[in-house]
Amino acid sequence: MRRRRGRILAIKWGMNPNSSSLGVDVTFLLVGATALAMVTPVIGALLRWRKPLPVEATPATEGTKE
Amino acid sequence: MTLIERADRRGRRLARLVARGWDAVATIAGRVRVAREFRPRRTRLERFGAIVQLTVPRALVFVDRAFARESLDVRDEPALWNGDEPALGDHVLSAPLEAHLQLTNRCAAGCVGCYTGASPEGAPHEYGLVEWTRAIDQLADTGVFHVALGGGESAVLPWLGELADHARRRGIIPNLTTSGLDGLDRLVEIADRFGQINVSLDGLDATYAAVRGFDGFARADAAIRRLRAVKREIGINVVVTRHNFEELDAIFAYAAERRLSEVELLRFKPSGRGSRAYLDLRCTDAQHRAFLPTILAAARRHTVRVKVDCSYTPMLAHHRPDRALLAELAVYGCTGGDFLVGAKPGGQLTACSFAAPPPPLDGHRPRIEQLAEYWTSPGAFGAFRTWREAREPCASCEYHALCRGGCKVVSTHVTGDLGAPDPECPRVIDHAPRVVRLPVV
Repeated sequence: MRRRRGRILAIKWGMNPNSSSLGVDVTFLLVGATALAMVTPVIGALLRWRKPLPVEATPATEGTKE
Repeated sequence: MTLIERADRRGRRLARLVARGWDAVATIAGRVRVAREFRPRRTRLERFGAIVQLTVPRALVFVDRAFARESLDVRDEPALWNGDEPALGDHVLSAPLEAHLQLTNRCAAGCVGCYTGASPEGAPHEYGLVEWTRAIDQLADTGVFHVALGGGESAVLPWLGELADHARRRGIIPNLTTSGLDGLDRLVEIADRFGQINVSLDGLDATYAAVRGFDGFARADAAIRRLRAVKREIGINVVVTRHNFEELDAIFAYAAERRLSEVELLRFKPSGRGSRAYLDLRCTDAQHRAFLPTILAAARRHTVRVKVDCSYTPMLAHHRPDRALLAELAVYGCTGGDFLVGAKPGGQLTACSFAAPPPPLDGHRPRIEQLAEYWTSPGAFGAFRTWREAREPCASCEYHALCRGGCKVVSTHVTGDLGAPDPECPRVIDHAPRVVRLPVV
């Protein structure tokens, strides 16, 4: 069976310097879904084409078999 | 408009775009250099797949399991991926994305709406460098990507640069909020250690005084200029109130003129001294309804990047934007105790900076160093994690999975119930039963 191609679920742009709440970039609401639909594949390609990134351990992944 | 005026306007626009282009190129070069020196955490597995951090462009990318298998070095199926693949948001993340550390409650500014009630003396039993360093270690081990450092005024702390360096060494990117009113000389020297620095600026000229209770605009403006001279990733945080709402366009114009990287808009929260100033400063319902079109028009007109804080999600939802687009931009309402956590100056762990420490588990209130242990405890963060048990009108709202009931700090202050629907949400207001006044016969 052919393996399903992976998907980007969300992209949280920028960083949040605000120490009181979580800021999100809404500039994309100006240009709408079309612009984001063009950017997301570029980000996907950027991640797929480079050397696979190592999985960095966290307490939640302690059960991970390497 | 005459031909000369039109040409002049186009010329100025072109000059601004060239300046922006130059800023972007120089910013990218700077980020690559810093990322080589201090490698930030790049990946974290999640039940839905993984989160990957990009430095250029700056982003946290949430991917499903199939994408994670394609782009990460996943040799065996992680235990975390046992069972069906959930959607993003179905479960609490494996750790927060970021932690908001209130390093001190010391600040001499005395703003009337200060959400922490900061004072020149600070809070009793504040953590010092040793304790915050330990906290950073814990956050790094847990998988946190960013910290947002604030106060009080954390720029007055002599060890702030040292703490930022430690965060970098541990793979966490430190960001900072400052009033720009104190500790500026030292901050300018260490500005390069932070990912992004935003200066709080709640209005221009006299409006600043109307919102904050003292005339500090000139000093804040001078701080912005000095910081911008040494760093490109400088923005402003603007607490939107009924007094500065009409000035938002002018604030965006100011940001464009100073070549700032972003404007972040924050809703006024009734917390600290802000709880007393709430009725005077909070926006009106009409302003909340006009919020999204107003800020997008200003961002477009002045070509400035705009960010809004989590508590504004109900005001975005009011305009019925595409839900898929909001989800793709990770626009969520209250994600306290999930995407983010806070810590008070004495290290007390909170779901968000405005919230009181959560109910004790096993008789102990958790501290930030105990994050990993507390995170997975049943009942952790109380009502912040039980947003799915919403009542109407949230329960049937198509945006509820994103909005999560709005700002719990506002709900608690107005209704006394942390789990109540956000009383400032336009949909909640429209849903409330109308009082029908019958004519007196």
